Amino acid sequence: MATALMNHAEIETDDLHRLVDPARGIVNSRVFNDPEIYQRELTQIFMKTWTYVGHVAQIPNAGDYVTAFIGEDGVIVSRGRGGDINVLLNSCRHRGLAVCSSDRGNARLFRCPYHGWTYGRDGALLGVPKMQEAYHNELDKASHGLVRVPRVEIYRGFIFANWDYGAVSLEDYLGRDMLWYLDIPMVGALGNLVPIGPVMKFRMKANWKLASENFAGDDYHVLSTHGSAFRIGFLPDYDQLADYTANFDHGHGMGDIPKPGRAIENDRGMAQMFGPDAATYVEAFNARVREHLSERQADVHGIGEGNIFPNLSWIKFGCFHAFGLLQWLPKGPDEVEVWQTTFFDSGAPQSVKDYARSQMSQENAAAGIFGQDDGENFERISEVLRGAVCGKQDLHYAMGLGHEDEVKVEGLPGRLGPHYTEANHRNFYRYWLQLMTGREG
Amino acid sequence: MGEYLLELRPEVEAFLFHEALLLDDLRFDEWLALFADEARYWMPIAETLDYDQSRVSAEGEWALVEETKAFMAKRLERMKTGMAFAEQPRSRTRHYVSNVLVSVGEGETVIARSNILVFQGRRDRKGEFFAGYRLDSLVRHDSSWLITERRVFLDQRVLPRALSVFL
Ligand code: FES
Ligand SMILES: [Fe+2]
Repeated sequence: MATALMNHAEIETDDLHRLVDPARGIVNSRVFNDPEIYQRELTQIFMKTWTYVGHVAQIPNAGDYVTAFIGEDGVIVSRGRGGDINVLLNSCRHRGLAVCSSDRGNARLFRCPYHGWTYGRDGALLGVPKMQEAYHNELDKASHGLVRVPRVEIYRGFIFANWDYGAVSLEDYLGRDMLWYLDIPMVGALGNLVPIGPVMKFRMKANWKLASENFAGDDYHVLSTHGSAFRIGFLPDYDQLADYTANFDHGHGMGDIPKPGRAIENDRGMAQMFGPDAATYVEAFNARVREHLSERQADVHGIGEGNIFPNLSWIKFGCFHAFGLLQWLPKGPDEVEVWQTTFFDSGAPQSVKDYARSQMSQENAAAGIFGQDDGENFERISEVLRGAVCGKQDLHYAMGLGHEDEVKVEGLPGRLGPHYTEANHRNFYRYWLQLMTGREG
Repeated sequence: MGEYLLELRPEVEAFLFHEALLLDDLRFDEWLALFADEARYWMPIAETLDYDQSRVSAEGEWALVEETKAFMAKRLERMKTGMAFAEQPRSRTRHYVSNVLVSVGEGETVIARSNILVFQGRRDRKGEFFAGYRLDSLVRHDSSWLITERRVFLDQRVLPRALSVFL
């Protein structure tokens, strides 16, 4: 099989089906190291799904912008004069270089450094130096604006973009079932859930899917990978924290879902360490969820972590925990650039904010005791995949195969599973395969 | 130039060199003892902006590192579990500390500004560098000093890897 594959100029659909077989719980390590598969992902995965590109609170005023990536393509997310949000390919139409090289700012124009073409906040080509002498006034400016990403939609302040004109709406893509959980911290916030500082950026020499599938519900790794955190008492016993996993259509998955009642009890316990402000905050947060969402969502209260397919992971335990968004930006088959943005409730008491902020740096971030050990393990996987044998072996994704429908909890949406299962991984690769092969199912 | 405490420089420099040596020799417990009990360790995130590159996370915004000595001690305890995989086996580090300037700080403290270049060799990989400057607040302690605050400002927007060593 391996020889046959190497003779092909391009990976065939049937090859992909042999490499990824969710029904049997098999994923071949080639999907983590093969340059052709990676190139195909850039078009079949990243140009067909919704990509998070920023938050409205980062660009409140006309002219405000942030830069981001969809796959490996840089984009500018800019606020127009009328409040509209434009997502523009960050590439000059003349020779292609980036017209904006900063993280964020406020601009009336984007000026290309090479020959000085200038573009408006909506991407329109406004200025061309020496239009008369160089172009005889014949250059059609109207058709040479920055390329616009055609679909831009916002969910509760989080901006997503999609190259696919025909894609389902963002809300349908995320799906009511996953949003049922994600709405809890967004609605429970007494003020707004807003970014609390710059985007943190660091590299990992690992394939992007290793991080995505981990956050999609690899609760099993926590016991070993994060064993040190339990030994030093950073966290209580893992099985006291959370109970279930759940997966959803479009490859999304989440883990560490607490059984109803558990998260609020944990938060009430923590509040005692922080003082009366914090105790009031727990109850106010929970009451908002109860009032604006549902009884059952208030019972769940804290939600764990998850991955929005393909490469946007999040982490959010109880109401004292910051909401962390981690983008696993692909930078080749064996490298990822992590962009982490941390959000918290602007309406929380100061003591709670101080805790949530520093706790995220210490836990799941570049120097966090969880983040660094995860990164090390992902890198160790990618390192061995250079081998002729290691790089073509079938990996085991069969945990819980045949036990998919055994967990049912009244009122909790999604395809629920136990704490330890790889049903979410299989769900991730099932959708991956569907997009990569262009086939249904 | 007048703002610098030139006469203190040799002594402060020797203190910082010794501190770097303890880190590079993996003598972490002795190293941590150089920090005051309430010491703070803070490393903001650098941003790339159009003109001015001095913007880093402000106080109240999240940072690469924001902790006190108590959590630094937890990090050391963690490394001893044998399960801190980002440092298991331990990295080899080399801390280069230079351009030391000492000035008057608040109250009893002096501020030592220094440049750092830290090499991290990890297992068999070629290794990574971290570059930036530090602002250390120091107070007299017997014949030496204690660090009451360490602020590290990195010149890298994108860290080459997760941060598992002290800078
Ligand atoms: S490349 Fe942009 S103006 Fe020429
Ligand atoms: Fe993890």
